Amino acid sequence: MRKLLAKAALAAGICFAGLCAAVPAVFAQEATIVFNTNEVGAPTYNPIKASMLNAATGLIYDMLVEQDADLSFHPHLAESWEEAADGMSWVFHLKKGVTFHNGEPFNAQTIPAWLELFKESDNAYMSEAIDKVEVVDDYTVKFAMKHPDPNLLYNLSSTFMAIPEPKAYKALGDKFGVTEAIGTGPYKLESFNVGSETVLVRNDAYTWGSPLSKNTGPAKIQKLTFREIAEESTAFLELKTGGVDMLLGVPTDFMGELKSEPNITVLTLPGSEVAYMSINVTSAPFTDIKVREAAAFAINQQEILDSIYGGVGAVANTFLISALPESQVDPKYLVKYDPERSKTLLDEAGWKMADDGIRAKDGAPLKVSLWTQSDTSFRRLSEVVQAQLKAVGIDAEITSFDSSSIRDQYKSGKQQLAVRSYEWNNADIVDWFFGGDRLGYPNTSMFNDPKAEELRKKAMSGSANSEQRQANFKTYHEYVLSQFPLAPIYQPTVNVAYNKDRLVLPEQIHGTEVGPVTFMDMTVKE
Amino acid sequence: MTAYIVRRLLMLVPVFLAVSVVIFLIIHLIPGDPVDNLIKIGSGPEQRAAIVARYGLDRSLPEQYLIWLAGLLRGDLGTAIVAQRPVSTLIAQALPHSLALGGLSLLVSAGAGIVLGAVAMRYRDGPIDQAIMGGVLLGSTLPTFWLGLLMILLFSVVLGWFPVSGARTWSSLVLPVMTIGLAGTALVVRVTRIAMIEAAQKDFVLLLHAKGLSPSRIRLRHVLRHALTPVVTILALRIGWILGGAVTVEVVFARPGLGTLLIKALNQHDYPVVQACLLMLAMAVMLGTLVGDILQAAIDPRVRANLK
Repeated sequence: MRKLLAKAALAAGICFAGLCAAVPAVFAQEATIVFNTNEVGAPTYNPIKASMLNAATGLIYDMLVEQDADLSFHPHLAESWEEAADGMSWVFHLKKGVTFHNGEPFNAQTIPAWLELFKESDNAYMSEAIDKVEVVDDYTVKFAMKHPDPNLLYNLSSTFMAIPEPKAYKALGDKFGVTEAIGTGPYKLESFNVGSETVLVRNDAYTWGSPLSKNTGPAKIQKLTFREIAEESTAFLELKTGGVDMLLGVPTDFMGELKSEPNITVLTLPGSEVAYMSINVTSAPFTDIKVREAAAFAINQQEILDSIYGGVGAVANTFLISALPESQVDPKYLVKYDPERSKTLLDEAGWKMADDGIRAKDGAPLKVSLWTQSDTSFRRLSEVVQAQLKAVGIDAEITSFDSSSIRDQYKSGKQQLAVRSYEWNNADIVDWFFGGDRLGYPNTSMFNDPKAEELRKKAMSGSANSEQRQANFKTYHEYVLSQFPLAPIYQPTVNVAYNKDRLVLPEQIHGTEVGPVTFMDMTVKE
Repeated sequence: MTAYIVRRLLMLVPVFLAVSVVIFLIIHLIPGDPVDNLIKIGSGPEQRAAIVARYGLDRSLPEQYLIWLAGLLRGDLGTAIVAQRPVSTLIAQALPHSLALGGLSLLVSAGAGIVLGAVAMRYRDGPIDQAIMGGVLLGSTLPTFWLGLLMILLFSVVLGWFPVSGARTWSSLVLPVMTIGLAGTALVVRVTRIAMIEAAQKDFVLLLHAKGLSPSRIRLRHVLRHALTPVVTILALRIGWILGGAVTVEVVFARPGLGTLLIKALNQHDYPVVQACLLMLAMAVMLGTLVGDILQAAIDPRVRANLK
């Protein structure tokens, strides 16, 4: 009898466990997606106030302009636009028949109301060049500019300039973007739990998808659940067990593991990240440009790509990602591994090779510090860089800091070499990291050069249109490279993994990431 | 008894003030700045200055502290600088998840700990005792994040019984509760076993044996009851510890909660959120100690007698 009871209890336990396993059952036309780990914890879907927005934001709202993978601009809520020859005004023709999720129409009146809200936010600098917005007719607006801003289209294509419904925005106050988010996008916000998950349901009235997607609306998948998982191993196990259908960011370390799973496809897309070594130009021996140049040419980018990253990604020979036209510099400015050049330069600078393999000058050895973040990926990269510097006779000692305090350390200006990375797909990043008024951080190279400042000013505000801006930024970028305040290293890819038994993605991925453009064309296998 | 509780509550006030100073100083004195997380590529030094002024970060530290404290006394935890939301709503969203996880793990470790401790004492020095104590040693030394991943591998990937992560269903609570509970069980088992062994050597136990009561009845009715006093103290101390100690488990199982909120805020140096989270944890420890003392007074007449 006792045994019988035990058996019954066991059976009940198994049934219970079976029930538990059945809970995350997936229904047709629903998909569960995991955000990239760096997007975990985004606290709001309010594009105007947020300091951080995740990938679901672009599905709730639409932008005036859409940017493609090749960084070219395409119409979205703005069907077409004209820029005045002197850059002092822009005319945007808006798409007709667009409505917000709450039924309010989207028209020319929306634009000034929205930009007015934008003025109060920390992101206001993005629209700062716009002086006045003139409503020409119901579907045409004209921006009168304070000064030409060839970067306007780029800013308008950013999710921070996604357009919320101005009346609801005012009525909801602080709750906008948290309990409700009203945009014109292909999905409506159903529920949002910070740090946990966001549920979106299809906007069935949507017919105004961007021309970059094959399907201009409504979207094919009825319900999208976005989950926030901070631990990469957990996210990987969720995908493996079918708990989720797609991971928007997979570390390169997991690539091998994922590729051996029969039902998982991994997409590698060009990203917007560049890893580089910054060189403090104010700290001896790097005050000597020859020593800086020698350190830069000692970095073997190809070896790093092959041995650390298994060939996934691309080498970096300039400060900018390859997709940017400003990265196409004159070949003589490219920083490419050349150990002989490195050694000759160090000899010329008076640093002679000593018996212990470390160069010395006037009896002092060539010993420098190499700073980095304590994350494993940075440590590993720094150790290889250290070995490569050693090969030409530079002895670099690694010091690591946690990611939040390293910025304060940079502000002290005591760094010499530092392995870092940034993520940005616009040439104005050169200004951000090498502008003479941001010494310490972000300008970790402490680079403040009169000629560079002149070129920088011209690039930032002396261009009337985008061609001029491109040319000016290219010159500025070339000059910065020629002074060696940095050594470019590596351009990682963005890796997206999905369950191919569940999801079908378009063959070619448009847009700067797997974002709204791709979600419009995505389908779930029945 | 009431006078005792009131006195203990009043004693919490200076402790609270001291803790609030320490919390405030720790987060403000470590290097790092929330404004770095707010300014975006392309904005200039003027925008930075404007943001610093907007959040009052240009004032002196004592001034900032007094402003924060004044807000606290009014029940206002402030607005998160980076997250741009009232801190109280962020906490209100996280707290139920932490309480569910912490409370259930406390129950698991209390239940399993006391039962296993009693069993280990019954078969003292035998193979069962050694097996339990060995398991306990393993449970208390394995890092919880690793234990969590092992649990996922076994119960979700291989057996498929529970979801890997998340907080959507009750079943997703099982693995995290077991992970934290196991680590807590270890402590409770050891304390229960030792306390029971000690109690079993007391004279009154000898008397009970002499009266002819059955050994199992003596163990459960008398020795265990006697031994529960230190166990209750340990469990009460763990109330605070469990809220904060769940951090790594929350991250591994992708659960929202105070721990994940705190980690995120620490990385961004979001002062108001970090201060509020740490204050919550400190309060939990203080209240846990208080509850432990009161419980002890309630179950032990000797403690009550001393109060008078």
